[in-house]
Amino acid sequence: MESRSRVLLLTRPLAVAAVALVGLSGCASLKWPWWGRGETEAAEAAPTVVQSAEQAEAAEAAAAPPRVIEPEVERRTIKRNKIDTENFEVGPWYGVLSVEDFGTNPAYGIKAAYHITEDFFFEGNLGRTTLGKTSFELLNPGSDPLNLGDERRLTYYSLSFGYNFLPGEVFIGRNLAMNSAFYVLGGIGSVEFAGDNKFSVNFGAGYRVLPADWLTLHIDVQDRLFESDIFGTNKLTNNLEARIGVTAFF
Amino acid sequence: MRPIVETIGRAACTLAAVFCVAGPVLAVAADPAGSARDNEKLLQLFVAAPYLDLRTGPGRGYPVTQVIARGESLDVIFRRTDYLKVRTTRGIEGWAAARDLQGALLADGSKFTLELGDRSGYQTHGWELGAFAGDFDGANLVSFYGARSVNDNLKVELSASQYLGEQRSGYMVEAGVTHVFAPEWRFSPFVTFGGGLFRVDKDAQRPNLVDRTDQSAYAGLGARFYLTRRFFLRGEYKERIVFTSRNDNEELKEWKVGLAFFF
Repeated sequence: MESRSRVLLLTRPLAVAAVALVGLSGCASLKWPWWGRGETEAAEAAPTVVQSAEQAEAAEAAAAPPRVIEPEVERRTIKRNKIDTENFEVGPWYGVLSVEDFGTNPAYGIKAAYHITEDFFFEGNLGRTTLGKTSFELLNPGSDPLNLGDERRLTYYSLSFGYNFLPGEVFIGRNLAMNSAFYVLGGIGSVEFAGDNKFSVNFGAGYRVLPADWLTLHIDVQDRLFESDIFGTNKLTNNLEARIGVTAFF
Repeated sequence: MRPIVETIGRAACTLAAVFCVAGPVLAVAADPAGSARDNEKLLQLFVAAPYLDLRTGPGRGYPVTQVIARGESLDVIFRRTDYLKVRTTRGIEGWAAARDLQGALLADGSKFTLELGDRSGYQTHGWELGAFAGDFDGANLVSFYGARSVNDNLKVELSASQYLGEQRSGYMVEAGVTHVFAPEWRFSPFVTFGGGLFRVDKDAQRPNLVDRTDQSAYAGLGARFYLTRRFFLRGEYKERIVFTSRNDNEELKEWKVGLAFFF
């Protein structure tokens, strides 16, 4: 008996230690409300989120029609540079204008044109000249029968449409070729002189050479018709104009 | 007679001098200006048609001197009317018709389209310019106008007119609004109204007129008719009231017909 109880006594501490070990080891799996609560919850919540996302995706895939394969190629976005248009042409001119009964005198002015198509252009013109002496004034020096005094300035403008024809090139020397074209034009306008404005009609023809794409030289001859009653009776006058000009395109 | 002969002679000499001397000088001097464009950013195109003709000038009448093969790259230097000045990678320059380049490829592979003067342009465009001749209360009328499109139907206009008659002459500068009812129709009617300044230079009935500039307002109707390319005819009738400083206002009727173009 004695020996049996001794064994019991001897083995009891071992058993207690074993029981304690087993019991304490289970503590890790228990939820202790006062320690480490947040960490364990987060660890447990994560798998459920993944699970629900997978489910939603699966449900969506089941509901939507089958998708066509979309190529994952990004189109390059190119900045499109603007094309500069150069249809306007502006420049000065110099020439002579013969005003009926007043002789031929130097004239100068400015012209602006817009090229609408390769064939047609629209041209605005502004010019000025000084009237010469009439035959009567020349034969009677010092006389001024029209009372013009210093009012000898004649200013005129016209709006014309022009048509280019016979386009081609002119060659100067061996290495230089310049574009050229003939043109005809006609329009309407007004002439102001001797204190009165007159409606005018103009028509003519010209020749244009382009030493560079932006530069032109041109000569043209136009007839400017207007009715004049400066000598008492109303008559239609033909007034020829010849000129040379330089214009720049922009 | 001497001054006339001298003047003509001088003009002829100037002319000869400019054409024979200034031409080549300017041509040579203008070259650096052309190469200065190199630095600008130019639109690049790739020929998609089997071939592309390059001409010496901006028109069908200029000779074709270069032919560009499909797939070759071009830089567009500038545009004049419906022609584009282009430069190839080899540095060759020439003029290509915009119509021939319609459908060429851009660097990102998309198609290049260019606005050309046609019916769709007649319906939708930014600007209009035109000149009219007509009658203004018995006087001849010369008129010029420019319009900016707000949309296809609505245009804001600025016009300058001169009336030249036996009895009276003067000019008008006015701004107004025009509404086109059906811009897609070839023959499309419109209404217009506006106002501006009315100037009398000569009035045979009132030779001693003191206040020569008055305000005016007008209302009118008209129609435009598409011709071809960028051109259309335009005709209109306007009733105008001039708010004179005299006891009575003046009512003046005006009609005019003209040629206009859009761009």
